[in-house]
Amino acid sequence: MKMSERRSITGALAAATCTLLGTSSPEPVQAQEEPGWDFNTALLYYGEDNDRVQDLSLNVLARRTFTDDRFLTLGLTFDTLTGATPNGALPQSVPQTFTQPSGRRTYTTAPGDFPIDDTFRDSRVALTAAWQQPLGRLSTINLGLSASGEFDYTHLGLNAKISRDFNNRNTTLSAGLAFAMDDLDPVGGTPIGLTPMRNADNDDDDDEGGNRGPTESKDILDFVFGVTQVISRNLLMQVNYSYSDSSGYLSDPYKILSAVDAVTGDVVPITQMPGIDGPSHLNYYELRPDSRRKHSLYTQAKYYMDGKVLDASYRYMTDDWEIDSHTLELRFRWPLSDSRYLEPHLRFYTQSAAEFYRPSLIDGDPLPEYASADYRLGDFDAITAGMKYGWKTGGGNDVSVRLELYKQSGNVSSSQLIGNQLNRDSYPDLNAIIFQFAYRFGM
Amino acid sequence: MATDRPERKISVESGDGFWRGQFLAMASPCEVLCETDAAEEARRLTELAAAEAWRIEDKFSRYQQGNIVDRINEAAGAAVEVDTETSQLIDFSVTLYELSAGRFDITSGVLRRAWRFDGSGNFPSAALIEKVMRDVGWDQVTWEAPVLQMRPGMQIDFGGIGKEYAVDRAAMLVRQASRASCLLNFGGDLVAIRPPRNQETWKVGVETVDASSSNAEKLLNLAVGALATSGDARRYLVNNGIRYSHILDPKTGWPVSDAPRSITVAADTCTQAGMLSTLAMLEGARAEAFLDAQQVRYWCNRGVTGPAAEAAKIA
Repeated sequence: MKMSERRSITGALAAATCTLLGTSSPEPVQAQEEPGWDFNTALLYYGEDNDRVQDLSLNVLARRTFTDDRFLTLGLTFDTLTGATPNGALPQSVPQTFTQPSGRRTYTTAPGDFPIDDTFRDSRVALTAAWQQPLGRLSTINLGLSASGEFDYTHLGLNAKISRDFNNRNTTLSAGLAFAMDDLDPVGGTPIGLTPMRNADNDDDDDEGGNRGPTESKDILDFVFGVTQVISRNLLMQVNYSYSDSSGYLSDPYKILSAVDAVTGDVVPITQMPGIDGPSHLNYYELRPDSRRKHSLYTQAKYYMDGKVLDASYRYMTDDWEIDSHTLELRFRWPLSDSRYLEPHLRFYTQSAAEFYRPSLIDGDPLPEYASADYRLGDFDAITAGMKYGWKTGGGNDVSVRLELYKQSGNVSSSQLIGNQLNRDSYPDLNAIIFQFAYRFGM
Repeated sequence: MATDRPERKISVESGDGFWRGQFLAMASPCEVLCETDAAEEARRLTELAAAEAWRIEDKFSRYQQGNIVDRINEAAGAAVEVDTETSQLIDFSVTLYELSAGRFDITSGVLRRAWRFDGSGNFPSAALIEKVMRDVGWDQVTWEAPVLQMRPGMQIDFGGIGKEYAVDRAAMLVRQASRASCLLNFGGDLVAIRPPRNQETWKVGVETVDASSSNAEKLLNLAVGALATSGDARRYLVNNGIRYSHILDPKTGWPVSDAPRSITVAADTCTQAGMLSTLAMLEGARAEAFLDAQQVRYWCNRGVTGPAAEAAKIA
């Protein structure tokens, strides 16, 4: 027979102790943790190949413990992004010239290359604050705030989560709600979707005439419901359902689509008037629907065996843009000694394309209601493979280094390709490297 | 320990606003922190605590010849009549045996014949464990207070309760003898008799179990009451790279798997705290779930990984 944790022996033990010592304790125990700060810091480098996006990010999470299991968590993230990102246009056998998002200059892409906007450069500061405290004996409430700012984007968010333990704390149910208000103020104004790319005006004043709209915004509402269950001594499982509703301006102001000839598939050239600096080919700003509803189901299992931990998770996401995605993730924590461990990590991701994703627009056809050639909305597969090594310092602090490789490759349906497009790359594949150094210490 | 017993002496030195009395008992450094203006009182209270610790050590240590435990263990099958205090300790142990469904068992000390937790790779054979296990099991003991009778080869051992019992007993005597605020610490088993006068609580460091590090990982505030810690900082066995805790399951004769590296429990008395931390250790991976059900404050150290720590992380 196994001793069951379902039974409290506190009363029987107190009675037996009272008999043994011949007296009961004069006063009940009063013991609490000394309040203190715990810092998690990390420096992360993310670099895409072919001079695309490079991100260096510094992350500091400070957690203050108060008496009675109350916690304040403050987070600060500082990112610097540089490099270039595909603008959505197709590669051609001739050079292509595009107007920069600022509207002041143009840039030119070599034949055969994916057009990339190399004016992409940004810094981001993000702050988070969260308060956690018990609500009664079995429940916990978390309240949080988040804010971030970058050159052309600001975010403000509020979130709340309540969780409750059941079944002798073998089961935890949680429900969360988050609301975010984001504002976009793109460089050179917000383009109006599905209008042709404008000419560069070559002056430095900020007039936003023509096809440029005002500042835009979007609101995001998220719900999450979760169950965490201890299945056995060795197995822990979690299932989450989440719903996310975004509304407002959901397009990417810097993404465009090539307008192509219905037979050759080549991008339609534009003859510019002398003295006018502007695009060499016909391109349209993208336009996405102004709402998006996502449902996702996440399940995770953690299996413990003699100090080793296998962590497997799967996420299914579906949305009303007709993107379906599957994510399978595996981590294995492998202790090398009492203070060192290795953790291999594998992640597989696949998604179907958004219903309005298309590599190009056909010149002469009526414009569709929505269109985007953003590679992130296409049909693609991605794999991440990495390794983390962690150790405890002599002073009891935790250090880890992590190296991961990311490979993303897309598939554009041949039914969406025309003429010469069938002989050229239609999806900008991506390879990236991720390196992280993390250090955790207390004060 | 029986052969070269440390010299029994106490020392009292002045600390920062209190007196610190020190002595050795039960193979552990013991201290009495006393908030009193008079050095004499601090010495008197330390002597009182030390005398009680030594009395209990002499009476119940399995390392000392001629005491009641030795007489029981050397009885070779004969019935032994015990005194009232021993009878109460046995009754208490029987209650714990029942509450733990046999996992707390004062006859399990003979497993020491098979297991040596010296950090080495010496691993006993299954046959040896099976042989030793024949001498384990309170259900084989005839106990009708005050008479105890066991088969030859069986032994009892109060090692799992002795230090906690001693510090609780000493705390009772000190509490009765003085109005001073005192903290008794017998090798990590603590009782705070009253809150210190000049600050709200006693500050107690819970040691990390990483034997190479002397850093206190957590600082606890103890106003009154007791703390006890079970852990395997120095006592373990490594075989094929797997670290076995020194907590043996008397039901199987094998070390408990997936036990936390250490557990500290807060309770009204050190005896309660010590029993809860020991029983939680015996629960292995479910130590935290067990302690949650007891509604006590506890601090589990699982070192690198552990289900409860992870549960908290992903929740």
